[in-house]
Amino acid sequence: MSGPAAVECRGVCKIFNQGKPNQVDALIDVDLTVEAGEFVSLIGPSGCGKSTLLRVVADLLPPSGGSIAVNGKTARQARLDFDYGMAFQQAGLFEWRKVIKNIELPMELRGWDRSKRSARSREMLELVKLPEFGDNYPWELSGGMQQRIAIARALAVDPPLLLMDEPFGALDEMTREHMQAELTRICASTHKTVVFVTHSIPEAVYLSNRVVVMSPRPGRITTVINVDLGERSEDTREDGEFFKKITEVREALRGGELGATARGIEDR
Amino acid sequence: MFAALWEAYKAFGRAVDDHVFGWRLPAHTDDASMPHISTILGSFSKAEVRGRPGIVGGAVLSGSWFTLRLAVTGLIVGFVVGMALAIIMCRFTLVRRAWLPYVVLSQTVPLIALAPLIVGWGNRLKIGSVHWQPWMSVTGMSAYLAFFPIAVGALRGLQSPKEQSLELMDSYAASWTQTLLKLRLPAAVPYLLPAVKLGAAAAVVGAIVAELSAGVSGGVGRLILDYFQKATGDPARVFTAFIGAAVLGLVVAAGVNGLELVLTRHRPKAAL
Ligand SMILES: Nc1ncnc2c1ncn2[C@@H]1O[C@H](COP(=O)(O)OP(=O)(O)OP(=O)(O)O)[C@@H](O)[C@H]1O
Ligand SMILES: [Mg+2]
Repeated sequence: MSGPAAVECRGVCKIFNQGKPNQVDALIDVDLTVEAGEFVSLIGPSGCGKSTLLRVVADLLPPSGGSIAVNGKTARQARLDFDYGMAFQQAGLFEWRKVIKNIELPMELRGWDRSKRSARSREMLELVKLPEFGDNYPWELSGGMQQRIAIARALAVDPPLLLMDEPFGALDEMTREHMQAELTRICASTHKTVVFVTHSIPEAVYLSNRVVVMSPRPGRITTVINVDLGERSEDTREDGEFFKKITEVREALRGGELGATARGIEDR
Repeated sequence: MFAALWEAYKAFGRAVDDHVFGWRLPAHTDDASMPHISTILGSFSKAEVRGRPGIVGGAVLSGSWFTLRLAVTGLIVGFVVGMALAIIMCRFTLVRRAWLPYVVLSQTVPLIALAPLIVGWGNRLKIGSVHWQPWMSVTGMSAYLAFFPIAVGALRGLQSPKEQSLELMDSYAASWTQTLLKLRLPAAVPYLLPAVKLGAAAAVVGAIVAELSAGVSGGVGRLILDYFQKATGDPARVFTAFIGAAVLGLVVAAGVNGLELVLTRHRPKAAL
């Protein structure tokens, strides 16, 4: 691989409320490298620190220890340079702005002029296949459509890295599979690096080059599973290899819990 | 509707001589306390009290217009002050902790006690070559009452955006000012509108009461007092001034409602 890794975490720790009785060891000693162009999913039971890891990488939370580099810079510099775009579980569109103005938000903040903004936002609407909805207000769109607009907004200033926290978590199964196919299409055509948090094993396997399995209390990485399914299509979901990987991830998730219990016994 | 109730209550009170099962009715119903609606309406076209030209209707109208201008100016000043306070309190947590109790405390000072105080201070105040005018005390009183609901409503609105929206702005490396303009202020609009309605009502009350204690003539507040004192023989006249004050309140409320329609035309109905 040439160039710096998209994300490089070394020994990252995050402890909330340190020293107080309600202390939470959200992340302990996390090492993770994501190469440019990779699609990496984080999966694990609720509370294992997936969102925390993503926020630390995004420089929305300071780490308690360890080092983080994004595109070879500090996380803070990467944020100031618009090196990443974020998408959350809730689309989080601003209800007082038309759809197209929502997509233009990051461009406004970067000081792009009007003509450049509108050209780019039209382009983004085409990319997420909602060209005719630019002048609608967000509440006139379905949940899936809103989420597509949120992705368009994240991609608007063309950041090399996408950080996504369960972006499809609130969607129904059909819409969800459709959105997964769309996301792989968009990422392939725009050469993005993606770190993607999810609760769904098939979603992680379908989307990723690598699935990172985490376990809670304290939050840490237990297993990393490489996935090589070639180009994704609807047939991928029927593929034998796809199911094999799903089983592998599921066992890694169980193993994490068993391991934690086993160690608990050993310590005693 | 209101007129019908008024007359019905009056007729009932007359019939039972203001007593029902030994209880006094809450309001006297004789002609001095509750004139007939027709008498009140008739008073509008009567000649003004001694020495003043024109008719009562004209005086009420011009008095209401005078007070309206003072109250609206007060509302605008109160809005600016309230917004500024809310923005500062939203920006600095320490300031919020320190100031918010005083903002609340400011409203517990009784209006009647405060009005002469403001007038007294004002009279001694001189900014450059500009002397403090009595009408400024009235506007000040309006602003003093109006700023409170606006400051509190605006603060709630400015703090209403979800954590996720704030993180989104952070992820764009947006400055605090950018976040204020693009996220906090628009998000505060639905909270501000009811606050401005309360503020508007308070501004009208403040203006009328302040007129009385500041001795500013020309407003509807002063008119109520004048009619009380000089027209004891004609109680209906006092009510014409009351109607003027009520219409004044309605006009201000209608203005705010119009503003609301304009500002919320693109919002989902459920969110309001
Ligand atoms: N701001 C905070 N203050 C204190 N504790 C926090 C804070 N944010 C997260 N935590 C704790 O850190 C741990 C990890 O939280 P995190 O949100 O990263 O989990 P997650 O893996 O994203 O869970 P989920 O799958 O439910 O979203 C949890 O135990 C949580 O209670
Ligand atoms: Mg989470």
